[in-house]
Amino acid sequence: MLRLLKPKPIPSGHHLIQRCAVSGTAKGKAKIKAGQALKRSRITTKKPGSESKPGGPTGSREKQERERLYEQCLQAPTPLRYLTQKQREREAEREKLGLISKERQREIDMMKKKNEKYKVSEKPTIIGTPGLDYVSLGLVDVEKLPKYELTVEDGRRLAKEYSRVLMRKHRARQAAESTLLRLKKEAIEALPEGLREAALVPDLSPFPVNRFMATLTPPIQGYIDQVREAANKISGMEKIRMLPRKKPVILFVSTLEWDCYLQFACME
Amino acid sequence: MKMSLVRPLLTRRGFSTSSGNLVASVLFERLPVVIPKIDPVVYAFQEFSFRWRQQYQRRYPDEFLDKSDARGKGDYQIDYVPAPRITEADKSNDRRSLQRALDRRLYLLLYGNAYGAPSGKPVWHFPEKVYESEETMRKCAESALKSVLGDLSNTYFVGNAPMAHMVVQPTKDQSGSTSYKRFFFKSQVIAKNEFNIGKCEDFVWVTKDELMEYFPEQAEFLNKMIIS
Repeated sequence: MLRLLKPKPIPSGHHLIQRCAVSGTAKGKAKIKAGQALKRSRITTKKPGSESKPGGPTGSREKQERERLYEQCLQAPTPLRYLTQKQREREAEREKLGLISKERQREIDMMKKKNEKYKVSEKPTIIGTPGLDYVSLGLVDVEKLPKYELTVEDGRRLAKEYSRVLMRKHRARQAAESTLLRLKKEAIEALPEGLREAALVPDLSPFPVNRFMATLTPPIQGYIDQVREAANKISGMEKIRMLPRKKPVILFVSTLEWDCYLQFACME
Repeated sequence: MKMSLVRPLLTRRGFSTSSGNLVASVLFERLPVVIPKIDPVVYAFQEFSFRWRQQYQRRYPDEFLDKSDARGKGDYQIDYVPAPRITEADKSNDRRSLQRALDRRLYLLLYGNAYGAPSGKPVWHFPEKVYESEETMRKCAESALKSVLGDLSNTYFVGNAPMAHMVVQPTKDQSGSTSYKRFFFKSQVIAKNEFNIGKCEDFVWVTKDELMEYFPEQAEFLNKMIIS
């Protein structure tokens, strides 16, 4: 077997210090456990008193508030930790011995809290902004939904049904589209000679730009005028009277993205 | 030898087939305005996966999440009540209005004198026109739609080629007329909510299922031609 040799690029200084692909830092050897705070994201506030605090005690209180916020964000908890089977067994054994790890303790505290946010949701939740989600708009028949628990087997069953339904629809759609193409071909062949060539010319004129895409709710008559009126009235004033947008109850973000974002946000 | 004499008599657009006329008819459709209903199985799976992921998501403090509500100066948004997806036209089943069945496609049908129908009797048909010497069939279809609507500024013809064709054989009543071919051209409504339909006694905007009621004999063909 011939192996093709790629011409090697001229080495710059970068490859002499090994950099990790993800964080861009020098490769560390320590294993980082999932959900643990990243090493570089500790904010050291233990400066030995040499720094002069601006504005006296109030300044330091604000600073402390901020630091507290950062700590909360960086150490933000999850209601359920992702543990491998081995870790789970180890935790169970340790609990029998009476030793409870910090994370396990945190989990127990969270479950005892009253706040809805910190618990695993028992009932079906709303996805998205409360007014404009599928259930309240009548897009889904809530009675016809299959019942399920939050377990792996139920998840697999739901996934199989989902896949079946979607694949069936996809195949039907593909069949219908090929029928359309076939009919079009036959129609073109049924045309007499001169017209057939005219029909075979591809129509390259641009699509109409004002073709509206199907949306969640139909357009409201006279909405644009209201907005323009309000904008004209308001543009005189300095402070805008903001009507609160409907806030999403829970944000969908992945932990990795948030951690990277917070690293940058905290390093003002 | 006879051929050289006969040739100049043929018109420039010489038809190679001798049978009859060509008719261009237009399938004028309004695309759906609202997304269709979601299958409960699909929604159940999406909800399950959302809740499963949410179990493992980090819970951030509320004050941090509220920082995203801060708005710049030019950001205006008025609180609105979303318009209902089932309109009054749906409830009153007003087939002449375009606001019915917002999550489906609507097709235009006319009631009047059609080509190929027994003369004088009005029938339900698509807007159509017999081909006389225009350059292309699409132009013929465009003039058909123009005669019905008035002007074509709010329509978009999809491509130069016809969508489908059918060969219409004369029935026993109309003896003497030849079979003709009817070509369908697809065109779509762009940015208009109502149309003044002229040149017919009555018109309707129908969904695919209702369309089948109007054309019972051609149900199979229409099923193939129209997807939804």
